[in-house]
Amino acid sequence: MADPRLVGRRLGLIGVLVASLVVTLLGRLYYVQLLDPNKPVQTAGFVHDGLVVVPAPRGEIVDARGRPLVKNTSAQVLTVNRGALQALPDEGTAVLTRLAQLLGTTAALLAKEITPCSPTVPAPCWTGQPYEPVPVATTVPTSVVLDVSEHREQYPGVALQTVTLPQYPDGSLAAHVLGYTGAVNEADKKQNTSLSDADTIGRTGLQAQYDSVLRGVDGSQTMLLDPRGEVVGQGTSRAAVQGDTLVTSIDADVQKLVEQSLAQQIADSRAKGKPATSGSVVVMDPNTGRILAAASYPTYDPQLFVGGISAKDYATLTAPSANDPLLNRAIAGEYAPGSTFKLITTSSAVTHDELSLTGTYPCPGSMTIDGRVKTNFDSESFGAPISLQDALGYSCDTFFYAPAAAEYYADQARVAAGQKPNEWLQKTAAAYGVGRAPGVDLPAGEQGAGSYADRETRLARWNANKAQYCADAKKGFPTESDPAQRQYLTQLASENCTDGWRYRAGDNADMAIGQGETTMSPLQLALAYSAMFNGGKVWQPTLGWGVVDGSGKVVQTIKPKVASTVPVRQDVYNYIANSLSFSRGWAVSGAFAYLDSPYRNEIGGKTGTAEVFGHQDTSWLTTWGPVSHDAKGNVKAQLVVVGMVEQAGTGATAAGPMLKRVWDGLFGVGRPSVLPGIKPAATLPHLTPQVRVTTAPAPAKRGAATSPGLPMPIVPTHAARTGANR
Amino acid sequence: MTLLAARPSARDPKAPFALTPEVLPLDRRAPGYDRMLAGAALALALIGALLVWAATRDVARANGQNPQGFLYRHLLNLVIASALFVAAARTDARLLRLFGPFVYLASLAGLLAVFVVGSTVNGAHAWIRLGGGFELQPSEFMKLGMIVGMAVLFAQRGADREEQLPPPTSDVLLAIGLVTVPLVLVMLQPDLGSAMVLASAAFGVLVAAGVQARWTVGLLLAAVLVAIIAVKVGVLADYQLARFSSFTRPGHDVQGTAYNVTQAHIAIANGGLFGRGLFNGPQTNGGFVPEQQTDFVYSVAGEEFGLVGGAVIIALFAVLCWRGLRIARSADPAGRLVAVGVVCWLAFQAFQNIGMNLGLTPVTGLPLPFVSYGGSSMFAQGLAIGLLQAVHRRSAS
Repeated sequence: MADPRLVGRRLGLIGVLVASLVVTLLGRLYYVQLLDPNKPVQTAGFVHDGLVVVPAPRGEIVDARGRPLVKNTSAQVLTVNRGALQALPDEGTAVLTRLAQLLGTTAALLAKEITPCSPTVPAPCWTGQPYEPVPVATTVPTSVVLDVSEHREQYPGVALQTVTLPQYPDGSLAAHVLGYTGAVNEADKKQNTSLSDADTIGRTGLQAQYDSVLRGVDGSQTMLLDPRGEVVGQGTSRAAVQGDTLVTSIDADVQKLVEQSLAQQIADSRAKGKPATSGSVVVMDPNTGRILAAASYPTYDPQLFVGGISAKDYATLTAPSANDPLLNRAIAGEYAPGSTFKLITTSSAVTHDELSLTGTYPCPGSMTIDGRVKTNFDSESFGAPISLQDALGYSCDTFFYAPAAAEYYADQARVAAGQKPNEWLQKTAAAYGVGRAPGVDLPAGEQGAGSYADRETRLARWNANKAQYCADAKKGFPTESDPAQRQYLTQLASENCTDGWRYRAGDNADMAIGQGETTMSPLQLALAYSAMFNGGKVWQPTLGWGVVDGSGKVVQTIKPKVASTVPVRQDVYNYIANSLSFSRGWAVSGAFAYLDSPYRNEIGGKTGTAEVFGHQDTSWLTTWGPVSHDAKGNVKAQLVVVGMVEQAGTGATAAGPMLKRVWDGLFGVGRPSVLPGIKPAATLPHLTPQVRVTTAPAPAKRGAATSPGLPMPIVPTHAARTGANR
Repeated sequence: MTLLAARPSARDPKAPFALTPEVLPLDRRAPGYDRMLAGAALALALIGALLVWAATRDVARANGQNPQGFLYRHLLNLVIASALFVAAARTDARLLRLFGPFVYLASLAGLLAVFVVGSTVNGAHAWIRLGGGFELQPSEFMKLGMIVGMAVLFAQRGADREEQLPPPTSDVLLAIGLVTVPLVLVMLQPDLGSAMVLASAAFGVLVAAGVQARWTVGLLLAAVLVAIIAVKVGVLADYQLARFSSFTRPGHDVQGTAYNVTQAHIAIANGGLFGRGLFNGPQTNGGFVPEQQTDFVYSVAGEEFGLVGGAVIIALFAVLCWRGLRIARSADPAGRLVAVGVVCWLAFQAFQNIGMNLGLTPVTGLPLPFVSYGGSSMFAQGLAIGLLQAVHRRSAS
């Protein structure tokens, strides 16, 4: 063993070491408690505030007579308070198991759903604040509500909250115009920092366009939290303010009428063996620019999106077989307008002296333009020249080819002479709104601009694509199995490669009858025809009419603006309108169906049968009425109604009977009119002040307002917890 | 026994009463016990009871739990630890050589069991759940086991030699081997704090065993080198490094790892000379300091009892160490090494714990001996103090 003296020294050394530790600690303690000139202080409140957002009920959307199109309904939402569950001896396992059984899910999934998300907790997890009660089931069935509320002792930490949800009382009525709602996502929050996860946001249609008006102001409930984030009481609460009510110019009765007629026409056309894949109807007031109805088929129920659409429902809606029910064909669709375009062609030709209202012109069965033979529909022909009135009435195509081709060659001469081409037809189309979004009060992505071809765009497109055309022509589509198709495609690519830039006489002739690259939406056609009865004004139309706040006060009136004015003389309009009056009977295409209608003399219309490559014809009919003449003899109409059925045949066979049912309903044939006097509502409806919808959690009076940073005693939690769940 | 029986007869039969009691009351109840040592430990444990109570009552109440729950369990731990203390104190210290190796091997087995059936608390896989809410932390017992094992090793091999020479290289290497096995296991859990305690206790035993200075200095340098390499290579877990970096830059990342340190610092700094008074510390009542009933229990003392209370605790540890070293001086070789080992263990652990509360040392997750809430450490320390008593009784007789 070691030397005792050495051991003694070693023990002394350890003693000194220990003593130095003691002195160090005492010195540091003295410094920290008494000497330190910069003592740290608590900056966080001893009880700090956490905010629970109380989403505001969305504003209602009502029709022109104040009838609800979207209203609010209260729903029961089942919430789970994770903190309360964890305080239980079994950490809530039993409660979650019972709840899972009730809701038809598993306790494990519920446990995941109520766990706050973090880098180590992946989805499914709770994205809200840890202290907020987590909604685990929305729109709970009554049986579950009863079970939970009658056996409260079996469900500690589980609460039922009443929330308001948008409700579409008439199901799919005006679905495309109203649009659907969705939950707020990260992109929305980045765009608008005032949004919270609890909010509902309009995704499409009026819900999206007027979202800021409809959303209201979220309320809040302040929760008092201890430094661990546990709820110890409730602070101030601010009631949510419901969004304002949007009054639309939609007339629910008219909307119902056109939707029923559209759906029936689809069924009828299909019964006749036509595909009739889709269709739409637009009803507007040409004098105000307001839209009374806009229907699109196929349609959907926006209620499916309330509270989040299920994956299954979404898959059904977006399946190819569903044929895009979410698409608003009345406003966003772009179709070849066919002969309905002759309004524009006539306007241009007469205004620029290519046709005369008094002259007669040939209407042969076919005509060769630019080396290609173009025929009339069914090759019908008139031996003698006919008047413009008859050309419009019988819808003779060859009649309009001639001025279009002549204009083309005149322009070619100007181009050869170094001048800019006139392109009157194109300019007139642009004045009527073709090629530009109509500017209706819907999201920009939901309005079709339509299109037409001219020299400039043709050249630009060729410049952008010629490399591809020429490469395709060289390669010759080796992947195409059908030799005929391969040869056709190769030929086309070859022509495009060399001549794709060229705008031809045939192109101009195609445009004259609403074919070729000419497309318009049903709404655009309605706008163009409206111009006939209001002195050439092309409206920037509206669906919204006014915004009414909770007290019933009108806070905003929405008025259509004039987007452009067509430079066409009123007598030309009168001439066209009179030429197409159904009072002329057989002389007007499409009037046949109305021969026996009591109102036949009060309306007029133009059919269209648009050929679509690879498809059956698109059936069009644009109508107007009831017609009147003012003191100067100018033709006036109260409504313009445009109908379209895709792949359904001629205008007279599908769109004709479809709109006849609409006019029957408007005029009240065999039953009371849905729109007495066919007069759209002239003044905003008077809305009674809303009964304010308050949403849970109810404001708690017990906890007084706190200012952050002020130390305050902790309120016992039990009462606070139940308070939060009330 | 013979003395007690004889004394009454020595009393003057005519005197109405004895002027001086022959036997002091404590002497009678605990012959040969170092009362100051036991008293200091008991005082620390009772102060600990108050501090644990203060640290937990408001938070427990806010969570709907029994506000006195932690107090009761702390007192229960104290009762069990006292029983262990008495059992250890009553053993004959000469038996150390006999059961020493078993103590060492048993605690090593416990440490290994952690890797098989252990559970993870605060990042360290260091606990064995016993069921019924009881948990055991074998590394606490390993501290005592290692000290006893080393003491027996040196004493046994030293007794076989006649000359008064420092322990030979073979003994030192064996001892280092004894230390290395538990050290590595504890590092693997990973429990850096316990590893540092083990190392410092072992270092104290080596010094007291009289090993040559080149060994002690060499080992110190090696430890520093290992620490540097560990940080560079990344042997330490992220949370351990984070604690160290929050120590070097306390203002940084207040809500993260430095949060504990900052909050404890706020609590102590605002205690002042006499403190806010029991149950009146806003930091403590607000639950700002995480782990306050265990690793940061000293911050309760600093806030509610102030400089005076904080100094009393340090002073009680000083008394503990003084008595321990005093026992070491008069003990036989094995008892001396046990005493020194226990003193170094408690001194280093207390310094490390109080130091991290005062922002002096990095946060390593060590309880304050006797004071912190926690059964395993309390039991192991009860055994250790009991063992010192046994050593003391042996040398006093």
